[in-house]
Amino acid sequence: MDLYKLSFNNIKRRKLRSSLTMLGIIIGAAMLMVLLGVTAGLTTAVKDETNSYMYDIAITPASGTGSYLMDNQTASQIRNQSNLYDFREVTLFSEDINGTELYVEGINNWKDVKLTNGTQGVVINKVAVEELGYGIGNKIEVNGQELTVTGITKEAQAPYVYVNQSIARQMADDKVSAIYASTTGDPETVADEVEKQVTGVSAVTKSEKVSEIQEMTGQALLFMGIIASIALIVGIISVINTMLISVMERTKELGVLKAIGFTNWEIKGSILFESGLLGFLGGFIGVILGVIGIVIIANLLDLAEYIPGMMPLWLILGVIVGSTLLSIIAGLYPAMRASKLNVVEALRNE
Amino acid sequence: MNKHVLEFKNVWKTYHMGDGLVNALSGLDLTLDEGSFTAVMGPSGSGKSTFLHVAGILDTPTMGLFRINGEETINLSMKEQARLRRNEIGFIFQRFNLLSQLTSLENVMLPMIGKDLEKVKEVLDKMGLEDKYHKRPTQLSGGELQRVAIARALVNDPSIILADEPTGELDTANANSIMQILQDLNRNNGVSIVVVTHNPASASFADEIVHMSDGKIVQKDSK
Repeated sequence: MDLYKLSFNNIKRRKLRSSLTMLGIIIGAAMLMVLLGVTAGLTTAVKDETNSYMYDIAITPASGTGSYLMDNQTASQIRNQSNLYDFREVTLFSEDINGTELYVEGINNWKDVKLTNGTQGVVINKVAVEELGYGIGNKIEVNGQELTVTGITKEAQAPYVYVNQSIARQMADDKVSAIYASTTGDPETVADEVEKQVTGVSAVTKSEKVSEIQEMTGQALLFMGIIASIALIVGIISVINTMLISVMERTKELGVLKAIGFTNWEIKGSILFESGLLGFLGGFIGVILGVIGIVIIANLLDLAEYIPGMMPLWLILGVIVGSTLLSIIAGLYPAMRASKLNVVEALRNE
Repeated sequence: MNKHVLEFKNVWKTYHMGDGLVNALSGLDLTLDEGSFTAVMGPSGSGKSTFLHVAGILDTPTMGLFRINGEETINLSMKEQARLRRNEIGFIFQRFNLLSQLTSLENVMLPMIGKDLEKVKEVLDKMGLEDKYHKRPTQLSGGELQRVAIARALVNDPSIILADEPTGELDTANANSIMQILQDLNRNNGVSIVVVTHNPASASFADEIVHMSDGKIVQKDSK
């Protein structure tokens, strides 16, 4: 029997209080895990999306032109640039259908569109089904052309219809919204040259875009981290309270321990061990609940494929080690109080 | 010449109480030899408990010289004081002060240096507690509790046992049994023993009875 086993014993003995203290840490740790995990997963998802959609450089109509489509002449000028190759163009425009905007997007790679029903060709999303009442086999008239819906996808937040890029371009009077390309030299330099040589376009490099998106997701991660950390800190404060009460209740016991030869450091160590143990157990259970929460949320958001990325090892270890360390810090003041107890007065305590 | 286990020379202990000062020990002079068995008696407020606290290095004198086994304690660090308490002193309290969540074995093993289970069992067996190893304090009688406390005090082979009213909570039969155990330890193992008591019957087991009043020794009776 040593003081560390005694600390473990104390937690076991005061089950309700220990559980309530741990509950605060569990909630904080689980929130930290879920919020950071889901945000990290979303960041990965966004990065994957940006990577699959972008080449070295993306050329779009400059904001000053007042249009979001480039005509064929401009597109040809871009295609004739010697320092660009491997082009991919996208046409995106909207059509007013009974007062609701329906977006038409050209698709180059149908693998990017995950179908829930039907086949490729003319695919609408669920929003279009819900807001416009379309279904497979229905006809949609866009810019004088009739499209027959062949499939349904869950993607996008607004009503969308996805068609082959060639069809989208044809429906948009041979115009494109963006041209993606690889560059033969430094993308930044090429982007500047393209902007100089082709009037009315804006060229951004993939790294600029990705860094913009990464910055945004990084900020979201930080924000979520701060919110969840507050929850964890509230839990940790309850450790201070619990340990202070424990020290007060055990005044006589601590006096006896000192009288039979335990040093102040040993007493301090046992209190810190006890508070650290509360933090460790709370953090551990919180991580387990957090993992369960992540799996549920990821499935709800249809991000199941990103689940492994939502629970990286750094997050799991960080939450457990963090809650343990913070709890040990929370135990410092009660431990100091315990070690400074006057033995004679402590022995008189009833 | 006999080796001294405890030496008090003109020891004072003064407490602040309200606006005034109270002398719990007023120039106490007492020397106890190794292997002695001493009972300290006196009315409430005579300074018996303070004497025991200073002797057990739980409290420090305000003034004067105090030595345990020749070692002056006033300049020792807290850690060294704890070491002395663990190695040299065995405490027995009136209310036993066993940890309620631990079994007899665990209570005795708690302060033990080196954690030797066989030795713990040996000490408990010596106290007649061979069938109480795994009992918690709530499952033991008063006499058994005090015997576990004595086992705990003995487990590190101390040179002195300090007992504060060890029979205060016991009936006559158990009180005599406890005092008999202390007397046997003193006679057979040579452990020095100091017992603070109100009970003349308990004090009669000692070889020397010291009477205190107003923080001083006022009378010494030897057998």
